[in-house]
Amino acid sequence: MNQSKQSPTSSPNPVKLVRTFPRFSVSQRWEHAVLLVCIAILLLTGLPQKYAASTWSQAIISTPERLEVIQLIHHITALVLTGLVFYHLGKTFYLIIRRKLPGDMLPTIQDIKDAWNMLLYLIYIKKQKPAFGKYNFEQKVTYWFLFFSIGIMMISGYVMWFPETITRVIPGGVIPAAIMAHSTEAIATTIFIVIWHFYHVHLERLNLSIFSGWLNEEDMKKYHTLEYNQLVRKPRKNQDSGDNNL
Amino acid sequence: MRQFFKQILIFLITTFLVFTLLLISSTTGVKAASNLIKSETLPQVSSESSSVSPIVSNEVCLECHGEPGLTMTLSNGDILDLNVNPDQYANSIHGEGGYACVQCHTNLGNYPHAAFSATDLRDVTLQLNKVCIRCHSGEYNRTMDSVHATAQANGIREAAVCTDCHGAHNTRQWTDPETNALLPEAKLDIPTTCSKCHFEIYEKYETSVHGAALTDESNTDVPTCIDCHGVHNIENPTTNAFRINSPQMCAKCHTDPAIMDKYGISTKVLDTYVADFHGTTVTLFEKQSPDAPTNKPVCYDCHGVHDISRITDPKSGIKMQENLLVRCQECHPDASTNFPSAWMSHYIPSTKNNPLVYYVNLFYLIFIPLVLGSMIALVGLDVGHSIYVKTRRGKHTTHPPSEESPSTSIDQTPLQPPPPEQLNEEEHHD
Repeated sequence: MNQSKQSPTSSPNPVKLVRTFPRFSVSQRWEHAVLLVCIAILLLTGLPQKYAASTWSQAIISTPERLEVIQLIHHITALVLTGLVFYHLGKTFYLIIRRKLPGDMLPTIQDIKDAWNMLLYLIYIKKQKPAFGKYNFEQKVTYWFLFFSIGIMMISGYVMWFPETITRVIPGGVIPAAIMAHSTEAIATTIFIVIWHFYHVHLERLNLSIFSGWLNEEDMKKYHTLEYNQLVRKPRKNQDSGDNNL
Repeated sequence: MRQFFKQILIFLITTFLVFTLLLISSTTGVKAASNLIKSETLPQVSSESSSVSPIVSNEVCLECHGEPGLTMTLSNGDILDLNVNPDQYANSIHGEGGYACVQCHTNLGNYPHAAFSATDLRDVTLQLNKVCIRCHSGEYNRTMDSVHATAQANGIREAAVCTDCHGAHNTRQWTDPETNALLPEAKLDIPTTCSKCHFEIYEKYETSVHGAALTDESNTDVPTCIDCHGVHNIENPTTNAFRINSPQMCAKCHTDPAIMDKYGISTKVLDTYVADFHGTTVTLFEKQSPDAPTNKPVCYDCHGVHDISRITDPKSGIKMQENLLVRCQECHPDASTNFPSAWMSHYIPSTKNNPLVYYVNLFYLIFIPLVLGSMIALVGLDVGHSIYVKTRRGKHTTHPPSEESPSTSIDQTPLQPPPPEQLNEEEHHD
């Protein structure tokens, strides 16, 4: 755990403060926690419905009553997630209007270069890993993949939920397309979270900054070199950690 | 002279023997009739011997019963016609087999006949019907599980028994004796047989795509009543179980290319139904809780029950969206004109049918392997590289990473670092 890491010191007084850097605001940490719980519940209640032909699913949805309960949980969680998405978007718009949006998460050309250099590093052509800012390309991919994934899931989900209302406005063909998109996107998202996100936050290194809110100096230097250099060289008041806005 | 006596003696002995034999077998016949309830295990009257030489030959019976006009008034005033048309019986399957009247009318072997206990005409049928079990126990016992038997048990005397469908003296051969399959000519008669009681349903069936083909074209590919409802053990078609299992019932023919190819009908109807969420739910409950009520549509909710029409039928065919909408609205009262096209009409999505679904599917067919595949590749490379870095560093410890590796930092005095909120505060103060 980052929390307990401390550089050994030769001074007689072993008390030394580990420098930590703010990474996520309370709001962001809560957003992540709610998102995590929502996605977990949605997957747990959604996958048995998708794989209704399999035995494990049929053990769960064995009666119409159970199916109704599972669908109710799915719908309630979907509403919570919708609320979260609106909160997130609302916060972003507020920050844009106040011209306070940090913009660290926006994809740039540099990310493509970083990804390319990372690939060259991984296939042993380059000796040095590219240096990253506050969010590296991997974290941006995570954010934007889930951003669009949740967007697709939400739109298709509500189309499936209220087909009578939707077809008053648009052709009925969107309903089966929404069903197809909803169930396939769910699989894509699941694979993505397990392969990409879990690998980078659990296996590559255990990164719990989204829960604790801060990152220690060591990880800052190693994984967010550019941000670290910026933070330590310049007076802190000029720094926009993305944390002091809401 | 002695020769003559000998001949007389032989004659007398033979007659005596024949009479004793006759007496013994007729008393066992009466016994069998009186023990009818227990008679399920009783071996049937040895039909071989009796069909060769009936105990009481049919000619004897027909001497009285072959003439028209022989009637009997029952206790409630019903007049029972006791006439049997000899030709009709001779042409029936039992007549052709040489079965004797008394094999069914077991208690009428003697004259004067035993007292007749039936109080009215229906009672005559119900009482005599019980005799069928003696030879046809399998069929008879299966009818005991039918809706008709349940209705009888509930006091509905009109409910069909054997002879209501098969006839009494005009029973016909309905199945191929070798394959036990229904004969084509018998198939044509089934709807009319059922129509004797279920006439309203027959009228619907007659105009349906199946019924019209049967009655107008004598097409025996189509189902008759028994193909869906069963033969002897006809189950209650209003149960949840019947409803949930009904798609399989329709699928018996509609997934069989041998039948469907003749008419150019898709055999994918069940697969496409099951793939859709309506069918998915029904199939799920079919396996898990077959008695569960389901509000999801089965085949007949859209295509009709007895009045199944061709989908291109201008009046009620559900290929016409406005006709399908009526069906949709039964469960989706708020459905409007666009709504029926939400159903993929049993088509497998293609560029022609449901192109939107086809392209969404195509997108993911490319997207998932491409994007997620390259992510898996990157992660794999990353794992490989970090293993490579670790092993290399283990060999030459010349160039450690810029910071001390986490393994070397030994924690001695854990400190509670300032939480990030506090840091924020500081920033704000600045």
